[in-house]
Amino acid sequence: MQGAYNDGRTARTLAVPVALDGETLVFQADNGEHRWPLASLTIEALQDRVRLSQRGGGDARLSLALEDWRALTRNAHVHHRAQRRRLFALVAALATAAASLATFVFVVIPAASGPLARRTPPELERKIGDNFEKQLTIGLRPCGGKEGQAALAALGHRIGAAGDTPFQVRVRAVHAPMVNALALPGGAVLITDQLIDLTRSPDELSAVIAHEVAHLRQRHVMQAVWRSFGFGVILDAMVGGGTGAGQQVVLLAGSATSLRYSRSAEAEADRIGQALLARQGLSSAGMASFFQRLAGTSEGPGSRAVRELISDHPDTERRAEASRARATPGASAFTSAEWRSVKAACKDGWRLRRPF
Amino acid sequence: MIQVQHDEVGGDRLVLTQKGPLKSFLFLSLRNGLLNVITLTLYRFWGRTEVRRRLWATTYLNDDPFEYTGKGIELFLGFLFAIGVVVLPFLIVLFGAQFLGPALAGLVILPLYIFLLFVFGFGRFTAFRYLATRTSWRGVRFHLRGSPTGFGLAWLGYVLLSAVTLGWFWPAAQRRLSGRLWGGLSFGNHNFQFHPEEARRVGVYGSYAVGWVLGIVGYVIFVAVIVATLAPQIAAAQKTGAPPGFTLAHMATIYIATGGLTLFYVFALAPFHAAMLRSVVAGIGFADVRFKLQLGWLEFALLAVSNIVLLTISLGFLMPFVEARSRKFLIARLDTRGAFDLAVIGQGDAPRPSTGEGLADAFGVATV
Repeated sequence: MQGAYNDGRTARTLAVPVALDGETLVFQADNGEHRWPLASLTIEALQDRVRLSQRGGGDARLSLALEDWRALTRNAHVHHRAQRRRLFALVAALATAAASLATFVFVVIPAASGPLARRTPPELERKIGDNFEKQLTIGLRPCGGKEGQAALAALGHRIGAAGDTPFQVRVRAVHAPMVNALALPGGAVLITDQLIDLTRSPDELSAVIAHEVAHLRQRHVMQAVWRSFGFGVILDAMVGGGTGAGQQVVLLAGSATSLRYSRSAEAEADRIGQALLARQGLSSAGMASFFQRLAGTSEGPGSRAVRELISDHPDTERRAEASRARATPGASAFTSAEWRSVKAACKDGWRLRRPF
Repeated sequence: MIQVQHDEVGGDRLVLTQKGPLKSFLFLSLRNGLLNVITLTLYRFWGRTEVRRRLWATTYLNDDPFEYTGKGIELFLGFLFAIGVVVLPFLIVLFGAQFLGPALAGLVILPLYIFLLFVFGFGRFTAFRYLATRTSWRGVRFHLRGSPTGFGLAWLGYVLLSAVTLGWFWPAAQRRLSGRLWGGLSFGNHNFQFHPEEARRVGVYGSYAVGWVLGIVGYVIFVAVIVATLAPQIAAAQKTGAPPGFTLAHMATIYIATGGLTLFYVFALAPFHAAMLRSVVAGIGFADVRFKLQLGWLEFALLAVSNIVLLTISLGFLMPFVEARSRKFLIARLDTRGAFDLAVIGQGDAPRPSTGEGLADAFGVATV
């Protein structure tokens, strides 16, 4: 039967008669005999033909009509199966590599993030935090009430001292369009004006501050930096520039795992925060009532578990129950004069500029 | 039986066709998608290679299909190379710059971003070169002449110039950059040429002006819709001090507005994109052969929209199918003039790069 031969040196096509000698294709071209063992062939099945080349044999190609190829190799041992085996081997190897990487990112790095954070020099963490704080305070302007700020700062020092926190704790009230408190790497704690508005007693605000100081003491912020290195950098690099399929699944798994770890850190900060307050003889009962009200402000009943799953904090009602059980009585964190100045600290006439 | 046609004196008219049913790409899309999930996307290099192999094998020049000879492992190594040489050093510098203070950090980071623009162009060139060297027809390979550094610098300069001119240099830049790539292409020992004067005969600035103006109008309308949707809530929140209460309806409005803006941009820019493709194709020459793309803007916009819909509802799984149908669409509109005796083409002696388009891949601009 006839094949079409390209010698790999020019784009000229030669019609060549092709025969099978045992397990070897034989054809004559350019005054010479060519012998291509079937086992050495790369076989590419196209619409109407097969295109054959020799592995490691350069650019020469031999094309045969599909029916001719089938007729020719009916009794020969053709290595289609070998190509399929190679695909299976490849997928198995890649799946193993992926599983190892996933174990590293989802298990090893989170497990190591605690020890890594504790071994990160506080000086380095403070530098990271300084830079972070500078960037944040461009958008979050500190509140102007000096006395209130001083009372908050003093309480931060006091709770920080109770816990041997490796940093100088610096609590500050800031203007922000949200109810939130954040601990930054290196000791800064920012409390938003809307959160201060929401608290109804010194106990509630001191519980929030103690919770943030506990994050600092436990190096949770640095842990999150290490974890996000794993989830963000390694996972992103792994799927980076991907074709879309599967990419989102992997990244979603990353953020779900990250949220799970931050929820457990939040629960730990609640527990240790209350212990720090108790150690200073302060009341730790405010945490429960604050969470209770926070839960009340969130919309609708919804499913608690679902909300918790997509949140980086544990369900607030659950937190309220747990902290109520741990609460101990004690002194108030602020005198009534201090409390008034704290509540007034952000009423400095400055309104946050909003984009619209 | 394979029919071998002996070329007549005076040469062959060149006819490009895409053969075979698109359906096979649906199965391939599904298979690649599943393997990507199993391997947490590590299979994508081999998947993309398989897609290209099939795309090339279904694209015929006269009676013979093209061949893609690239390998998944080459793309994978290229990707590792890009991670090691560009991505990691970039992240390290970015992390280190955190400790320098804002002014000094800016001094480090700004040149870095400018350098990245250069690397982006460099990567585009090497990606195109990789594709060329892995493409053959009747056993004869393609190649790309020219320097990736030169292309990277040109890219950088053109992007900066386009920024300075508020985008008005961009059409000229695109034509010049495409000209560098197509003009540097060789098929065996024969070179392609790029004829700028032929390319310029297909005007692109009229349609660009329309897209430019409509682009701004669309954006203004988009911002107005968002403001009108959210402003009442924010104003109310400012009065009461409570956090603004956004509802599902607000979020839906934002999503619909974003989708609408995307569609609007597809239609507003389709005349320009179609004209640019026609212009570049008109500039390409291979000896006496010239090419012409009969592409209307509306059909091009509809292709883009249907592709977006397919990718959105399939969460990206149908990418190979989308690539195949886009290629079929364009090849069906490609005409050639002039003839060339293809049998006289000999193999070129240019070396082949050993790894794939890692740099372009790292920036997500790898073609096909």
